[in-house]
Amino acid sequence: MGDRPRILEARNVHKTYRFGAVPVEVLRGADLSVHAGEWVAILGSSGSGKSTLLHLLGGLDRPDRGRGEILWRGESISIAPGRRIDRYRNRDVGFVFQFYHLLPELDTLDNVLLPTMVGRWMRPDPAPARSLLESFGLAHRLHHRPAQLSGGERQRAAIARALVRGPQVLLADEPTGNLDAVTGGSILDLLAERHRSGLTIVMVTHDAQVAARADRIVQLRDGQVQA
Amino acid sequence: MYARLLSNRYLTSRLIPLIAIGAVALCVAMVVTVVSVMTGFLDLLRGAGRSIVGDVIVSSGIGGMPHYDELIARIDALPECHKATPVIDTFGLLRMPYPRGPEKEIVTTQVWAIEPLSFAEVTEYADNLYWRRPVDDAARAAMQPDDPRLDINPAWLQDGFTLVESATGRPGVAIGMHVSVANERQSDGSYRPRYGWSMPGRDVTLTLVPVSSRGKIAEPREEAFPIVNEVQSGVYEVDKNRIFAPLAVVQRMLRMDRAPLYDITADPGPDGQLPVIGETPARVTKILARAKPGVTPAALRDAIERTYREFSLEVDANRSLTTKMPQIVSVLTWEQQLRDLIAPVQKEREMMRILFSLIYIVCAGLILSIFWAIVIEKTRDIGILRSVGASRRGILWIFLRYGLVIGIFGSAIGVALAWLIVTRINDIHSAIGSDAPAAVWIGTYALAAGALCGVVWQAVRGRLLPLLLWTLATLIFMVAGTGLLFHRGTLIWDPSVYYFSRIPSQVDWWTAGLTVIGAVVFSVIGAAIPAARAADTDPVEALRYG
Ligand SMILES: Nc1ncnc2c1ncn2[C@@H]1O[C@H](COP(=O)(O)OP(=O)(O)OP(=O)(O)O)[C@@H](O)[C@H]1O
Ligand SMILES: [Mg+2]
Repeated sequence: MGDRPRILEARNVHKTYRFGAVPVEVLRGADLSVHAGEWVAILGSSGSGKSTLLHLLGGLDRPDRGRGEILWRGESISIAPGRRIDRYRNRDVGFVFQFYHLLPELDTLDNVLLPTMVGRWMRPDPAPARSLLESFGLAHRLHHRPAQLSGGERQRAAIARALVRGPQVLLADEPTGNLDAVTGGSILDLLAERHRSGLTIVMVTHDAQVAARADRIVQLRDGQVQA
Repeated sequence: MYARLLSNRYLTSRLIPLIAIGAVALCVAMVVTVVSVMTGFLDLLRGAGRSIVGDVIVSSGIGGMPHYDELIARIDALPECHKATPVIDTFGLLRMPYPRGPEKEIVTTQVWAIEPLSFAEVTEYADNLYWRRPVDDAARAAMQPDDPRLDINPAWLQDGFTLVESATGRPGVAIGMHVSVANERQSDGSYRPRYGWSMPGRDVTLTLVPVSSRGKIAEPREEAFPIVNEVQSGVYEVDKNRIFAPLAVVQRMLRMDRAPLYDITADPGPDGQLPVIGETPARVTKILARAKPGVTPAALRDAIERTYREFSLEVDANRSLTTKMPQIVSVLTWEQQLRDLIAPVQKEREMMRILFSLIYIVCAGLILSIFWAIVIEKTRDIGILRSVGASRRGILWIFLRYGLVIGIFGSAIGVALAWLIVTRINDIHSAIGSDAPAAVWIGTYALAAGALCGVVWQAVRGRLLPLLLWTLATLIFMVAGTGLLFHRGTLIWDPSVYYFSRIPSQVDWWTAGLTVIGAVVFSVIGAAIPAARAADTDPVEALRYG
């Protein structure tokens, strides 16, 4: 992997939550380098700060001020202006969550189209979303609402949404955490296939078996990343 | 694009925004209806004022103005003046032709003695004559088949206009539409004489009391006249009291006509007559004038005031004229003349506007609380949207747009509603004014029975909320039906209380526009606070939520 460029990096990242008056330092100088085309699994027990790290990597949140930074292709997105970060989330990375997080009022197709609607006035071309959903075996579910889909179908729709703008990195937070082993396996197969065609994946899990599908596994313990 | 999609979906996927739209619609409808009716009332008042008295009124005391024909010639010559006309305004007793038998009804009336030709040029007297045949087939078709105007003596219009009964050559009077109690107003605004008591052609007896310029009352004079037509100005107070009679006749009855002046200090001559030393000129108590198009009543008033002053100085200087012009005359525009009538209505309308503005605040509060709940419910959606790259401004716009749509739809429906109410207000009023037709309350009871079936059905299914709603519907229909059953007509707009015999039914579009803008602005303000909260939502927190 050493020959590949580092695409996404966390450098000495600290993150403190204030729980009332008590500060809880969840991340204490976490370091992580993700290379282009790599599949990294972040393994850690519940509450160890995996989701927190992933949110920081995806620009949904910022590290404690002056204590560490997130670099995207060498550019710090921790100090970038809000517009730049919105763009980053929209184009460069894609999020997949444990609980799918589809919008209940929209059908599958519109949910997947959502990232392509950002910053546009007209309805975007549905063709890419449609073909993505077809390749995920959801051709017959385009106009169903999320509530009418099974867990596996919802997660596939969520992955399609994350990939519709062709991001370089997919950030997945326990993508199989809510699914049975067989369905979870098929989701991982789907990720593996995307990975083979060049997608960089950062996946958070507390399940060692799931983590085993990745190229590299890192442990999150005591707020730090351990190889 | 997502903002449009989502705000539309949030709007259509739930009931609460419909309530907000309904609330905005009701507020707007209320404001537009009330202010429209009041504006219409004001316009009627103004229109009627001008059509009844012209632009400027010169009034003197009861002794009247001598040399009025010369004065009118001067006023007519003013570049501001279209036409001036003399009037005597006095009171009289009118012995009506009804009822049958020797005891006739006697009413007190305000008598306007006019020269109809010039009077019709100053006021809209000719247009206000009621009894006339329809001018063409279209007008004929617009009338009810039993309308007496379809088949009346065609001479009545001309007689009304000249105040002479053409068949006999006698001078006649035209009386206000509501002077005779026999005229019954129909819901379409036309009149039917009750029991065949049609007025034109019948004789009335007019009694006038001459008053000398020193205030002495002389022997009352009584004279019979044929009624030549009836006059409808639209102002109930006027139509109830005023009658029009020929000027020359009234001058003679009131001894305001030209007469020889005797020397009462001298001894009677051999023929028993006092020596004549001059002549008292004919007099009138009012001069009405109409301005030329484009000239304001105020400009005409100022010109007439100047003319009167000059004229009265000339009369004083001229020793051969024994009768002087009265020193106290008022020269007023019609608006000043009717100020006591117009000003309170204007104030009331402003009060209404201000009071109703408070309703917007209630609307904004309602939208605020509804949106607040929706924003909280949609917190997770906000997190999701941020995670796919939506900006804070984008989130803000979703909810602002939502408020905008509610404001626009609500006020559009409100204006439509107001239009429906205002344009049909006279029908609605007469519907309220009469007992509810049996079909209506039976129908309402039928609906109640239907709702009761719904109650039974839901009771069987065991669902509580629908059961409750159906029960409420049943109760509402029952109460409404019972209310209609016992409803006895009550006239809200009683023409004897209000000035006009019809409720104004024109939407005041200027007010409607202002109200719509107000409603939209306040809806957006109401939406802005929850929208700002939504934009401030931390995406990570939002994603953890729910
Ligand atoms: N907003 C917050 N306020 C206070 N504490 C928080 C907040 N968000 C997270 N935490 C705390 O930070 C810690 C790490 O949370 P995080 O969600 O990152 O853990 P995780 O590793 O993803 O756990 P899991 O595997 O259960 O998802 C937890 O102890 C959590 O209680
Ligand atoms: Mg987590």
